[in-house]
Amino acid sequence: MSWKCKLHGRVWKLGGNVDTDQIFPGYAMAAPADKFKDYALAGSEIPDFAGRVQAGDIIVAGENFGCGSSREQAPVALKAAGVGLVIAKSFARIFRRNAINIGLPVLVCDLEQQVENGQEIEVDLVAAEVTICARGEKIRATILAANVLQTLEAGGLIAKVRKQLKIS
Amino acid sequence: MNQIEGYLAMAAGKDEVHNGDDITVKVDLAIAHDITGPMAVEQFKKIGVGQVFDMKKVVFVLDHIIPAATVEAKVLHNVLREFSKRYGVKLYDKGEGVIHQVIAEKHRLKRGSILIGADSHTCTAGAYGALAIPVGATELAATMATGTLDLEVPEICEIRIDGKLKPGVYAKDVILHLIGHFGTAGFTDQGVIYTGSLMDQLTMDDKMTISNMGIEMGTMISYFADPDQSVGRVKEVYTFKTEDIPASVACPPNPGNVVRAADLSSTKISQVVIGSCTNGRLSDMLVAAEVLKGRKVAEGVTLLIIPASVDIAQQMEDQGLNRIFREAGGVITSPGCGPCFGAHMGLLAAGDVAVSTTNRNFPGRMGHRDGKVYLASPRLAAESAIAGTIVSPGQVVPLGGLADELEV
Repeated sequence: MSWKCKLHGRVWKLGGNVDTDQIFPGYAMAAPADKFKDYALAGSEIPDFAGRVQAGDIIVAGENFGCGSSREQAPVALKAAGVGLVIAKSFARIFRRNAINIGLPVLVCDLEQQVENGQEIEVDLVAAEVTICARGEKIRATILAANVLQTLEAGGLIAKVRKQLKIS
Repeated sequence: MNQIEGYLAMAAGKDEVHNGDDITVKVDLAIAHDITGPMAVEQFKKIGVGQVFDMKKVVFVLDHIIPAATVEAKVLHNVLREFSKRYGVKLYDKGEGVIHQVIAEKHRLKRGSILIGADSHTCTAGAYGALAIPVGATELAATMATGTLDLEVPEICEIRIDGKLKPGVYAKDVILHLIGHFGTAGFTDQGVIYTGSLMDQLTMDDKMTISNMGIEMGTMISYFADPDQSVGRVKEVYTFKTEDIPASVACPPNPGNVVRAADLSSTKISQVVIGSCTNGRLSDMLVAAEVLKGRKVAEGVTLLIIPASVDIAQQMEDQGLNRIFREAGGVITSPGCGPCFGAHMGLLAAGDVAVSTTNRNFPGRMGHRDGKVYLASPRLAAESAIAGTIVSPGQVVPLGGLADELEV
């Protein structure tokens, strides 16, 4: 998987406190890995998300995105369905780390009230800057920590650990 | 440094650590279950090391879907069986119970040890002073290879609770009250140290109930202070008095939506669940049995009794609790997670309403998105099972003196 620091995609708005049961419902937890994407956001207010999402789409959410369970199926399903980035006002700790560890970028930015569903935005992950394409407006996000960028650049934690352990 | 920082420093091999430091700690135990374990195993294999960092420090427990409810669930069991055999790590695969209870019973760590678990309720172990950090499958896989975990030293707050709990108020009400107060993101990325005179009166079961739901406030670490050491410097001290803590209920759609039980208007229910890593221990079952002895579960209500471990199930049998539950009309299941996370026996359909002693009530958590879950103590749950509606403790069975009545 190649690291892209500049992303461009359509916005899907979700509210606050979207928990992992909504992102990836419990009943799907035993599903085989190649089916995870079919359940992305199946328990949320957009249950048909998996059938409508396009590659590179960006989720824009409110506070505490990904609260609840440690299930890594949640970010894996979003990524496999085509989600290129999740932007939220804040993230729950485990979801945030899981997403970064599997190479799904997450950015902290209070964007929800400033964009519409389906609008196109451009994001520079290194500069932590969001551009709303239609009006060229630029919005600052929280800068990603150096070790987070390292993990994302490596393509996730497994690749980073392989490098650390010098396994080629 | 405070107590948590002191132990983190020790685990990192440093003299001192402070909030914001990036450190690498040695892990004493890494755990996962049938839902997260197979993913961790797959990621571990991608790293390409031939063995886990220490065979004795990796433990798997089948608890979420055991016995397997679907063919897919059985495949997950088999992945862990195969891994356990090949890599020599311990697998509890005989229905021994919920991972956090099994770890407390069979692998209880010393105070200050580092436990990481691919399950958000790993924080339960903070009850006995472990620094218990929940992680995802990939992070667990990395630790299985390296024996270490990278983390940022969190801000630490102290929650001090003084006094004695009022009748009808339990450890569950304490943690629900706190989650209601601080919100579901109240302590995201932070550590919490519990102190105060209430701690002297809490049993280990009580402390596990409180620690278990720390993640419902977003905590990275929930930890009960060592009373023989000073707590040390923390970012903030929040003080509570037990007289202000009422019997509480977390209403849908999340554990932070907490109200006083007495303020809930009459709500008809169709299921009661008593069990889980939050409230499936013997003391919880004793409270429920006191209420249910000689009484009947209401028409239209399914009562599920789910021991948190096989040891607890045995004690329930030895003490005659199972007869009480069966005569009341309850279903006693094998130890495990039950319907708590929505993939095993006891699911809700649209329109169903459950009172549950479990830890989460998000939309769809226990089945259909339009099935509702109210979280409460075993006492409140048991009384509600008899009433067929959500009631306050004491409304169906008078409070006080019950222990003497119960001849088991």
